[in-house]
Amino acid sequence: MEVSRLSVARILQIALKAGRVTRRYPREPPLLTPEFRGAIRVDPTKCWGCGACVNVCPPNALTLTSKDKTATLEYFVGRCIFCGMCAEVCPANAITITKEFELSSTSIEDLKSRVVHRLVRCSSCGEVIGTEAELRAVIKSSPISEEYMVLCSKCRKLKFGKAAMLGRGGSGD
Amino acid sequence: MSKDFNEIVRHIVDMGGVVEESKASEVYVRVPRDRLKDFARYLYESGAYLKTCVGVDERQLNDLFAVYYIFGLDELGKDIVLRALAPEDDAWVESIASEVPAADWCELEFRDLVGIEPKNRLVKRLVLPDDWPDGVYPLRKEFKHDTRPPRTFKEEIAEEVGIPVGPYHPALHEPEYFELFVEGEKVVDVAYRGFHVHRGIEKLAESPRFTYKQVPFLAERICGICGFVHSTCYVMAVEKAAGIEVPERAEFIRSIVLEVERLHSHLLWLGVAAHLLGYDAGFMHAWRIRERVMVLAEHLTGSRKTYGINLIGGVRKDIEVDKIDKTMKTVASIKEEFGKLVEAMLSVPQIKSRASKTGVLSRSEARALSVVGPVARASGLYRDIRKDYPYLAYRRVSFKVPLYTEGDNLARLLVRVDEVFESLEIIKQLVDSLPGGGISVEEYEIPAGRKAVAAIEAPRGEDVHFIITGVGRPYRWRVRAPTYQNIPALRAMLRGAPLADAPLTIASIDPCFSCTDRVVVYDVGSGKRSSMRIIGGVQAVGS
Repeated sequence: MEVSRLSVARILQIALKAGRVTRRYPREPPLLTPEFRGAIRVDPTKCWGCGACVNVCPPNALTLTSKDKTATLEYFVGRCIFCGMCAEVCPANAITITKEFELSSTSIEDLKSRVVHRLVRCSSCGEVIGTEAELRAVIKSSPISEEYMVLCSKCRKLKFGKAAMLGRGGSGD
Repeated sequence: MSKDFNEIVRHIVDMGGVVEESKASEVYVRVPRDRLKDFARYLYESGAYLKTCVGVDERQLNDLFAVYYIFGLDELGKDIVLRALAPEDDAWVESIASEVPAADWCELEFRDLVGIEPKNRLVKRLVLPDDWPDGVYPLRKEFKHDTRPPRTFKEEIAEEVGIPVGPYHPALHEPEYFELFVEGEKVVDVAYRGFHVHRGIEKLAESPRFTYKQVPFLAERICGICGFVHSTCYVMAVEKAAGIEVPERAEFIRSIVLEVERLHSHLLWLGVAAHLLGYDAGFMHAWRIRERVMVLAEHLTGSRKTYGINLIGGVRKDIEVDKIDKTMKTVASIKEEFGKLVEAMLSVPQIKSRASKTGVLSRSEARALSVVGPVARASGLYRDIRKDYPYLAYRRVSFKVPLYTEGDNLARLLVRVDEVFESLEIIKQLVDSLPGGGISVEEYEIPAGRKAVAAIEAPRGEDVHFIITGVGRPYRWRVRAPTYQNIPALRAMLRGAPLADAPLTIASIDPCFSCTDRVVVYDVGSGKRSSMRIIGGVQAVGS
């Protein structure tokens, strides 16, 4: 049994050197590296409701549903795989990746967060053009007259075509 | 044994094969479906391993079903893909399983999923559950990915279930099912029933629900331990098919993360192996060291597991200077600590005596079953995809491939121990020579109808992904996880061995350890049945 004693001595030496490595979580904070990706947060003041994040989200944790006057972006953390692709594609920088991971809850509603957008419809034909926030962002980046703003792409083309035929320019000056 | 590649291709053409497509790394040859066996025999005798076979519903392209047999010539680092076609109303191909035993499972799989009959062999259901209706083939294109066909109940199923706590135990995930037939203490035969967790991932990837860019995240979830292997293998296959050049820095980062994954996987396995042998101190310390690898992985990728950094065309996360320092420090300290732990572990006499000469897999059996990874290397087969088909940055590093000839549990343990040290060296070399430049290409096109085979040396062995590109998403994507190839070898390892060694032997091929599984033990003499709890289970086969 000499060999056995040797192995015990060896493992004891390793154990003594390592000491205690576990943390008293949750009393002590857990070890998270600066790179850790947790749940995301959508800033409702920045979000346009464009749906870029919805298109890229692999597990469909982000969904966009429209009902006559509103469009709702819903984030369901229960489906989230914490890949952070949504934050990368967001054109409005509205999505931040947080370090939150303590997400369990007894109510499924706690796992959902929503951003509700008002929809704008074409003043001519009534088709949905986009969300209010989206249109505001468009105006900010490229000046466009109110007149064209509230038209859908089809009606805008029609109007522009008519204006061009009359030789009156199309940008509404 | 080793022949010239062109010579082999020429011989195949002489036999009646038609070269359809020739690439630097693989050649596609169309062969008559009634003569597959001759071609398979020739390739097998030329030293080729069977990587896998794939059934594809190509009716949208050419009104036919196709079967691809992917043979890898390890010594030459090239693949030969045999393609046989079959019309819908007479869908069969000749089976090659009698010549190449490794084809056993994948032939049954395309029979189940695509409905192409492998002729002249014993057939049974492998992948589909027993209550799946006959004549419904989920990988045919007309089958929608979210269809739930009505269940059909068969009388004999009810009779067979003797003990209700079977593979579907509510507390266990990723179940698999071994039936060991014993005479007293000796195992006389083994039956296996798996695929309880077949999730239809391949089907999902070709459904409108997914796009090329989203599939890496899906692929990563094939396996909970070597997920990065799968996402890398998928993106490599797509990049190869579409001819996308990946920046060198991205290749290095992928290789570094792959090795980090190998470290955590092998340390996990060593811990569980120690636990199975009743040496829990070894288990605790292996996992303590592994924890540092997990933290390193999070630091490099943003996540402890399912790293999510692979994109087609590159990676999402760079390795900056401060991370390089941290990686070097972690690698150095793991090397020291792991060395001491292995010394302590191997000085326990019981570990050596229980692992030696148990679960022996001979070289010839290993060859016949085309086993992969540490299982192959412990049985004297020199196979390592990183050496045989150098991919990513592996041609830039020097490392040894550990080789043992005993084929027993100890040999498989030692292969993994050696590989941990090799991985640490590889990471050091890669981090040291990390080239500059971008980490991904943004602009690329993926034309439809291209084919590619990609293979990666996962911790458990060779992982193979085969892809046929489609519009917006793969037309067909086939995943062959390493465990798929290794499980059939268990029969050879377990037969004739004492029952007490079975748990360790099953564990020794390193199926996924995240789950607990059950073995049903039949006593051949008395006909009695009892069940035995083991740690182990297979995740990777459930792709």
